Amino acid sequence: MRKEVKQAIAGLIMVSPSFVLLLVIVVIPIVQSFVSSLANDAGGYDLSRYQFLFTDKGMRTNIFFTLKITLISCALVLLVSYSLALYMRFSSGKLVDWIRKTYMIPLFIPGVIATYGLMNLLGNHGWLARLLLPLGIELPRLIFDEKGIVIANIWFNIPFATMLLSSALTSIPASIIESARDTGAGKLRIFLRFIFPLSYKTFLVALTFVFMGVIGSFTAPFLLGPNAPQMLGVSMQQVFGVFQEREQAAAMAFFTFLLCSVLGYFYIRSMAAEEAANR
Amino acid sequence: MVRLKKSLTALSALALTTAVLSACGGKNENGASPADAATPADSSSAAASPSPSAKPVEFSFYFTGSQNVKDLWDTLIPMFEKQNDKVKVKEVYIPSGAGAEPTYDRILAAKKAGKGSGDIDLYEDGINVVSQGTKDDVWAALDTTGIPNLANIDPKTMTDVSNMAVPYRSSAVVLAYDSAKVATPPKTLSELLDWIKNNPGKFAYNDPSTGGSGSSFVTTVLYDGLPEDDIHNSDPAVMAKWDAGFNKLKDLGKYVYGKGIYPKKNQGTLDLLANGEVEIIPAWSDMVLQQLGEKLLPDTVKMQQITPGFNGGPTYLMVNKLSDKKDAINQFLNFVLSPEAQEVIVTKMNGFPGIQLSNMSQAMQDKFKGVSEGFRTFNIGDLGTEINKRWQSDVAAQ
Repeated sequence: MRKEVKQAIAGLIMVSPSFVLLLVIVVIPIVQSFVSSLANDAGGYDLSRYQFLFTDKGMRTNIFFTLKITLISCALVLLVSYSLALYMRFSSGKLVDWIRKTYMIPLFIPGVIATYGLMNLLGNHGWLARLLLPLGIELPRLIFDEKGIVIANIWFNIPFATMLLSSALTSIPASIIESARDTGAGKLRIFLRFIFPLSYKTFLVALTFVFMGVIGSFTAPFLLGPNAPQMLGVSMQQVFGVFQEREQAAAMAFFTFLLCSVLGYFYIRSMAAEEAANR
Repeated sequence: MVRLKKSLTALSALALTTAVLSACGGKNENGASPADAATPADSSSAAASPSPSAKPVEFSFYFTGSQNVKDLWDTLIPMFEKQNDKVKVKEVYIPSGAGAEPTYDRILAAKKAGKGSGDIDLYEDGINVVSQGTKDDVWAALDTTGIPNLANIDPKTMTDVSNMAVPYRSSAVVLAYDSAKVATPPKTLSELLDWIKNNPGKFAYNDPSTGGSGSSFVTTVLYDGLPEDDIHNSDPAVMAKWDAGFNKLKDLGKYVYGKGIYPKKNQGTLDLLANGEVEIIPAWSDMVLQQLGEKLLPDTVKMQQITPGFNGGPTYLMVNKLSDKKDAINQFLNFVLSPEAQEVIVTKMNGFPGIQLSNMSQAMQDKFKGVSEGFRTFNIGDLGTEINKRWQSDVAAQ
């Protein structure tokens, strides 16, 4: 009994730094912004700021625009990352070596620099346009448009998602796949029955990270996006810094947090299910 | 012991005043009165200078802006400290867009919490923050007793800010155009609007909430045809008169660059001018001059002011009301307004001097003949924010 108490205390002490950190930099700010988002113009407390989010035409289009960009970016990033990870896991050769060596490069290029690079590459008079001009191909508008934001998101998120997914795929024992193949399972069947279920949890983790990164992104949408609709991050900055409506910005921040926590819920639930299964 | 301390303080205060007075006496060649005042003080400086307690007073100076602003202060502050070894200036540079608003918030928060100046003694910003701070009562009123060189400034600009801030330099928004493509640039606002419609896609202005040049274009269009007094009026009643202007801007949407693309930041449109995508933009004169100097813009880019003039305006220095180092700050401000420091500002920043041109050397007066005129100073307070809000919902999201 005594030993257990001791262990429990030791455990609490070990957990406390991360708990305090979480409390100070995550929980308290969220509570604070929630409280300030409830303040209305008259000085009282109600949900008028949230009502504005869904009734103002500009705000509503911003929310839908953000969700659209986020979903498209998540789908494209995961599609590309998963294919890359699969390719690197099950193929070999010079090309695979090269991909393995280079796919992390975007992680080491600062966001603003990459964004300006993309502007120079994809702009109206950019390199790509100049290269394609002799071929008679005219590019659609990429910069100052939603396509620009999606391209930037792909660039920023693929390395990390690929890293996560390929480590998950590497941990699948080759024996499972070989034995399945021996019993006559086709490629698609192996993928659907073994590979995907075994990497599903990491897939969810990658999805969570990409989703949260994209929904809260600022630099790329600010510099590459259209003036309207705006992504929530850009709009939040404008409402906070330019219009000086702190409470409204707090409401937008809290709403973004709610959107993220929906995904967080699924993530935590699958983690808990896993833990229960292991017990 | 207490008495000794007191006399030391008195001595150092004396030393400080001496430094102030002798500093202006040395620089101000044409200002007779400060030089006169310096004479009696000089005799007392002999008594004050041997005092070992004259520890330099250090005050913090927060400023924001692009790299050129930092370069400017990096030059001016050592010049000042060389002349006044009793005062040290601690510069705190906050790059543009990296949280300049929180600096003001910090000043306000420190005041509300009863923590004095919050260690921000002097702050540099535009007219919005000046009027915001005047409303919140955080700036100290300035007068010529503390800062003799204030007399060099146009009294009208000082009245505009109720003596709460020092306009130490200014620049104006002008039309920057590529003279290789535009032979005769528009000279009035209506000519400009016609030009935009006749040359679709060749004009761009930036999102007004992200930079002053776009904001100036928007404001100029909105206040076109309104009484002149309205540009010095922050009464929300004026908002009702904006409709015609906003309709013009909405209509203009399909003729501007990319059929309604408004790049972010002042630099956004300059980039478009540099790579030839557009031919005319509103831009800050100092940015154009500097980038021409650095060959970032083609040599063919020229500038033109229109009538009614675009917004031009000073950048201000404000003293925190709760700062306890006001003497040292006044000394510094007096230096900044001296013709000597103003020459540096003009050459480094390509801006217009903050003091009246008649106080500058003949060469400087010639350089700015006709160029520093024609712009208007808008002082519409919080209405600027309302313009941005309405622009976002009416023009950008039309």
